[in-house]
Amino acid sequence: MAGSNPPPKPWERAGTSSGPVLFKPPSGGSTSDIVEASGTAKPGEVVSAAECNVAPSINSTISRPVPPRPWQQQGHGNSYGGYGSSMYSSYGGFGGPSTGGLYGNNMYSSYGGGYGSMYGSSGMYGGSMYNSGMGGPYGGYGMGMGAYNQGPNSFGPPAPPPGFWMSFLRVMHGVVNFCGRVAFLFSQNTQAFHMFISALLQLCDRTGMLYGELARFVLRLLGIKTKQKKDGVQGAESSSLEGPGHHFADAPKGNSSWDSVWTDDAKRK
Amino acid sequence: MPAFKAPAPGFSVRFSPFHEHRLLAAASQHFGLVGNGHLLVLDLSAPAGAGAAAPPLFAFPTSDALFDCAWSESHESLCAAASGDGSVRLFDVALPPAQNPVRLLREHAREVHGVDWNPVRRDAFLSASWDDTLKLWSPDRPASVRTFRGHDYCVYAAVWSARHPDVFASASGDRTARVWDVREPAPTLVIPAHDHEVLSLDWDKYDPSILATGSVDKSIRVWDVRSPRAPLAQLAGHGYAVKRVRFSPHRQGMLMSCSYDMTVCMWDYRKEDALLTRYGHHTEFVAGIDMSVLVEGLLASTGWDEMIYVWPFGSDPRAM
Repeated sequence: MAGSNPPPKPWERAGTSSGPVLFKPPSGGSTSDIVEASGTAKPGEVVSAAECNVAPSINSTISRPVPPRPWQQQGHGNSYGGYGSSMYSSYGGFGGPSTGGLYGNNMYSSYGGGYGSMYGSSGMYGGSMYNSGMGGPYGGYGMGMGAYNQGPNSFGPPAPPPGFWMSFLRVMHGVVNFCGRVAFLFSQNTQAFHMFISALLQLCDRTGMLYGELARFVLRLLGIKTKQKKDGVQGAESSSLEGPGHHFADAPKGNSSWDSVWTDDAKRK
Repeated sequence: MPAFKAPAPGFSVRFSPFHEHRLLAAASQHFGLVGNGHLLVLDLSAPAGAGAAAPPLFAFPTSDALFDCAWSESHESLCAAASGDGSVRLFDVALPPAQNPVRLLREHAREVHGVDWNPVRRDAFLSASWDDTLKLWSPDRPASVRTFRGHDYCVYAAVWSARHPDVFASASGDRTARVWDVREPAPTLVIPAHDHEVLSLDWDKYDPSILATGSVDKSIRVWDVRSPRAPLAQLAGHGYAVKRVRFSPHRQGMLMSCSYDMTVCMWDYRKEDALLTRYGHHTEFVAGIDMSVLVEGLLASTGWDEMIYVWPFGSDPRAM
């Protein structure tokens, strides 16, 4: 791999003003040959993992004792660790009661009350599901920040490799987190599907009512209303104006309407 | 020259010493923790399409993260990349991806975080690894020539002297910067440079005894290896750890730095008001910077926002 030479460097063109004082003058020849001639060459020496971070036997021209590592000092590493764990976990805890209160008690319970028993279960949906659900993702995020700090010299020094229990518990944490998130999403989907279908059914129901109402109106405009009234639809008509939910509840109360239908018919017969 | 979008968070950029329009970039998925790496060669002269930069000349995905890259000084298409799996890979970007990497050098026990090619003799390169060692390699040998032991913690960077073919310096997490001579068994000089980890360093190209170090303690210090007791200058201005420093190849005393505070700064350490310019064009940590040797004042930077910017000194990187 001999090859070409790049253009001369700007500092080479400028020329050397003062030679290096500290170092021996450069040797001639290739770097490999020079190293071999100096007797320091150890070709292909493989560094084993066990040698890492161990104080070396050779050297120590350090004139002072090696100071404690930054991450051994109080405060430095802790502040970042605290950022990941405490802040976000408290955030997760904070999310629980507030969202639970909002969705469960006020909004959804009143909603459910208006529509009767079918939507009454939505109160439970808002309260419990949202509690656990909101806590889950944020807890996971906090843990992500913890791992983030251990990246290549991000803020502090790289942490020493965690022990077995540490990593095992971290893995378990991740698994539980994952299951929690999947369960949360599953329940959310089920709820959404349920609401979709029930809304669809309700739409059909109300559309039918609207059709009936409009038809009755049009017929009345056309002047066929007296005949319709005689058939006893009047009671249903008046009660339906009060609101859709009370229609069936109120309908039997009308004395004149449904009971008389059969009697009228019977009279006619 | 437009901004380029890298496929992953960028970790390093290098201008080619042969072609003024070529830029080498290393990128890694998931911030280098896990996932693939990407080695890219960008053509800066290619005309930009409508809103999109030209595709890279060469793109090679690797199985592990890439933390650093360096062009060969002896061969125009050869480059070295430092990988997270402890290997050093040599790529020939003129060859199709199927024939790459041309060499896979596997001797380090842990992540390799820095590579640098000897710019004077041009026949050797260095790798700095988190297994506390540095290794000297020659592209024509299948194994390392020599291993340098002495650091007590991860070695983050190794830089050859721009003037002396046998001298290089290394920056380590044991808070020291060390100056080595390849003919000596032990470091020539140990500078207890900072109170925190030293992440990067570079030699002044015009004064062979001047060295700058960047550290987690947010500062850059300039040292004279002839009197290493106290720094010549201390440059404060970054809000977080200084990830890389690099001296200008054209102007003496001028240096460029990037930091985890998402800015790139230009300094002149000999001036009273050392901070010349501050660029805030990145929206995430800036991890790689370089200054072109062939075009004066041309700068490049990359960061974890997956962008690679190339711009001339004095202009706005985003305006290009």
